[in-house]
Parts: sequence; structure tokens; C-alpha cells
Amino acid sequence: MELTESGIDLERRRFIAFALTPSLIVLFAVAVLPAIYLIVTSLTPFQLTTPGSATDFSEPLRNYGLLPGDPRFVNSLAVQAKLSVASVFFQVLLGMLLALLLNVPSRFVEFARTFFLIPMVLPPIVVAVIWKLIYAPDISPLYYAAQALHLTLPALTSSVDFALTSIVIADTWEWTPFTFLMVLAALQTIPDEYSEAALVDGASKLQIFWYVTLPFITPILVISGMFRLIDSVKAFPLIFLLTGGGPGTITEVTNYYAYLLAFDTNEIGYSSAVTVVMLLLVCGISLGLVWMGRRKEALA
Amino acid sequence: MSESSLRKATSGRLIAITVTLIILLSPFLWLLQMSFKTNDQILQFPPPLIFTPTLENYVALWHSAFSASIVNSLMSASLSTALALLFGVPAAYALSRWSGRGKHGLSFAILVTRMAPPIAFTIPFFLFYRWIGLLDTITGLVLVYTSFNLPLVIWMMQPFFDTIPVSLEEAALVDGARTRTVFTKIVLPMVTPGIAATAILCFLYAWNDFFFALILTRTNARTAPVAVVNFMNYEGWEWGKIAAGGSLVMAPVLIFSLAVRRYLVSGLTAGAVKG
Repeated sequence: MELTESGIDLERRRFIAFALTPSLIVLFAVAVLPAIYLIVTSLTPFQLTTPGSATDFSEPLRNYGLLPGDPRFVNSLAVQAKLSVASVFFQVLLGMLLALLLNVPSRFVEFARTFFLIPMVLPPIVVAVIWKLIYAPDISPLYYAAQALHLTLPALTSSVDFALTSIVIADTWEWTPFTFLMVLAALQTIPDEYSEAALVDGASKLQIFWYVTLPFITPILVISGMFRLIDSVKAFPLIFLLTGGGPGTITEVTNYYAYLLAFDTNEIGYSSAVTVVMLLLVCGISLGLVWMGRRKEALA
Repeated sequence: MSESSLRKATSGRLIAITVTLIILLSPFLWLLQMSFKTNDQILQFPPPLIFTPTLENYVALWHSAFSASIVNSLMSASLSTALALLFGVPAAYALSRWSGRGKHGLSFAILVTRMAPPIAFTIPFFLFYRWIGLLDTITGLVLVYTSFNLPLVIWMMQPFFDTIPVSLEEAALVDGARTRTVFTKIVLPMVTPGIAATAILCFLYAWNDFFFALILTRTNARTAPVAVVNFMNYEGWEWGKIAAGGSLVMAPVLIFSLAVRRYLVSGLTAGAVKG
């Protein structure tokens, strides 16, 4: 069949629409509708055990009104902030140091790089199991090493002082490879001429890092930190397995609190409200960071 | 100082790299070696570093309900991968070739669906599944994983289609071929490596999932990651089985990620915003 120019164009456009539509329908059904449903349930006092509670819209904003006065909710935001800031800081710093260490053209180093990625690709629950082992006083090599050095370690994951730190350490182990990979990619785009010129001018290695390398990789440090910040609310398996939110509520992040509310105490309505607020915060932070990034680009 | 001394790996650097690697991997290796120990050896203090490896933990898993959970994991991960590719690959092609005004907005909206923490989807999915009877079924898991992976497929595949020159397709179209034929006979074969890499990443995401499976399954459709945690029960922790189960769950991940390490970054960042 012979088609004219516009005939080809029309047929192509039809095919594009045909190829795109099923995905859009699926995404609408499994992402947009659930989001709407989440907002709807957040307006009800829905409890699985109370009949009729799912459709009780008599006091739609009640859940949201309760949030500011809920010490566990307020605490969970603070815990999340501490966990996120600490783990993102260490992941960016260590990722950068690793990238600097491994940014050399050598066969061995290129081969070794792959092994540095292992923690990041492991199933999150296996990472949690690994750290459960390391933190288990009766069988852990960590406690044996401490004993050999005549140190007494407290039970880290159940200690008021160290529980959150133990989560930060495990999360940092899991995700430093990610920032490492991002920074390494950035380092490899720096033209050699820059540092060579600086060398000729008699700059020290530290000066080259500070005045040549660091300005070059700053954007990628910010971007990878941002990726990690957004994803840091997903540290669920670590908290679930290592501390269960405890001791008390010391490691209870908002994500985990919402989980307990919905699937432990059946407070579906209230949990939905907590989740909606958490989603708004995550979106707000993401948009804020994107905006900051754009502004910086415009200024530069 | 010459140029080469700045960039070549010095022996000091090689030692630093090796030491860092050993420290980084020791927690992971600890789990692995424990899976080959008997329970007595595991509880021995100090832990014996040299021991006769035993497969008894793996044999015990083979004969337990754990093998069924591995099958559940395999089925839900592979079926959801196939479905996500079926829907997502044509959509990625369409987005790549479509030059309409809403293109960037639409790509961004598709990505946003992946950004949200899983709990935001679990509550509605849980209620809906409970209502229509999909709780604790493979079908239920496949549906969640497909929806979770669809944005990844679209996001990963679009650049592959972008690299194929449109002029190539136009030549075939002028010769009278239909767009459908051009897509299946010319374009698709050219992006096969991309499809393979994307498929592996989708499989890994579904395989690695813990949260959805924890909430949406009980016994029938329980996946391997959840089954591992179930070895930590009130009657005492079966560390040998936990270690062996954990090692089995991470085995395909280690093999596959070596195969797709070039695409890991783009795959892993698909959940975050593109700044």
C-alpha cells in the first residue's frame, strides 16, 4: 500500500498514541488512583475493626488536627531528620573519598571498582540481616574484636545512645557505593589539562583538590546527596529488623510509625494522614532542591 | 612531579584500596561464611575462622517451606518484569518519537510515581486487595511490581530509542512499511541489549522487595526475603538458616548486577527526581 507523506505522519501518530496509552492507563490505575484513595482514607477515622468507619466523613480534618499534638508523630519527624542528615553527610563524604581513591587508570583498580558496589545492589533485607549479625553480641565478630581489645561494647541496637547511630552506620554502608559511583563518574569528566596546568604552576595536591577538583564535582555532590536524602525515608528494612523503632521511639521514623499505625494497630485512617503529610514533605524537599539547583545554575 | 606520577596507581594507593575493600566487604563475607557453619560453630566464641564447611543449612532450606518462597519470588519477579516490558517498551518508544508539547511534563509525571515511599501505595493496595481477594496471591504481587517497574522501563528505554536515527525508520516507511512493522522488525532488534539490561534491573527490584511482600502476603505467596526474616522467631534464632537463606536471596543479585553494572546508575536513580 502506497502512503502519502501526511498519510505516513498520521499513521505514525496513531501508532505512538497506541503505544503510549496502555502504560498511561496502568500508571493511572496503580499510582494516581491509590494516591487519591490514600487522601480519601486520611479524611476518615478508618479502623479495620470498626464497621462503617471507612465511609465516615463527618469530621474530615480530624486526623490532620491530631498530628501536631501527637508526640510520636513529632518525634518521628525529628528522628527522620537526624537519620537523614547524618547518613547523607557520611555517604557523600565517604563516597567522595572513595571516588578520589579509585579514580586512577589501572586495570586492577577498574576491576576492584565493581566489588565496591556490592552493598548497594544487595537486597535491602539481606543488608539488614548482615547488620543484625554484626550487632548481635553473642555471635558477632565486632564484639569478639572489642573483647580482644579489652573493650566492653553495649548492645548497640538496644542502647538509647547508640541505636540511631547503628542504623546510620548500616545505612551508610549500604549507600556509600551509590554516591561513590556518582562522584567517580563526575571525576572522570574533569579534563586533565586543568590539574596539569595547576601542577606546572606549582600547586600542591591539596590545592589542586580544593581549587580544581572540588568546584568541578560540587554539583554532583549536591545531586547525589539529594537523591539519597529523598530515598532516606526508605530505610524501612534496617529499622524493622535492627531496632523495631526502639528502644522506646528513639529510632521510630515517620515511615515506620505509619507502618505500625496501619498494620499493627489497624489505625488505617490516621496512618493515611501521617503518610500524606510525609509525602507532602518529601515532595516539598525534592522540589525545593530542584529549585535550588536551577537557581545555582542560573547564577553560575 | 611528572604527569604520570600523579595519575598512576601507586603501591600506597593500591594498599589503601585493598584495605578499604576488605573492610567494606567483611560484613557481607561474614554472612556468607556463616551459612557454611553448623549452629555449634556459629555460637562458638571466639568464632573459628578455619572450619570444615558444611552444606547442612542449605539442605535444611531445600527441605523446608523456604524453597516454595524462592519459587514465589522467581515467579512474581519474572512475570512482573515481562509485563512491565510489554507495556513500558512501546511507551518508551512513543515518548522518544513524540515531539509534542507535553513530552517533558509527561516523562516527569511518570517518574514521580516512582518517587513516593512504598507505604503510600501499600495502604491503598492492601485495602483494595483485601476487598477483591488478592491478598497473599502471586497475582497481587505481580500487579504491584509491574506498576513499580513500569516507570523504570520507560525511563531506562527512552535513551536507547533516542540513539536510533529517525531517518532509518523514514526510509522503511517511504518504502511502504507500516509503523508497527518498522517498530518490531527494525527498531526493537536494535535495542535488544537495552531491553536485556532493563529486564535484569526490573527483576532485581521485584526480587529485592521486602516491604510490599511483608504486607501483601502471608503464607501462600510469601517471598524469599520475608521468609528469611521468619527464621527469626520466638523459639530462638536459626542463624545457620538465616545466613544460608540470606546468601541464596543475594546470589542472583550478585550475578545479575555484574552483568548490568554499566546501567546500574541510571537504573538506581530512576526513583529520584531529575534535577
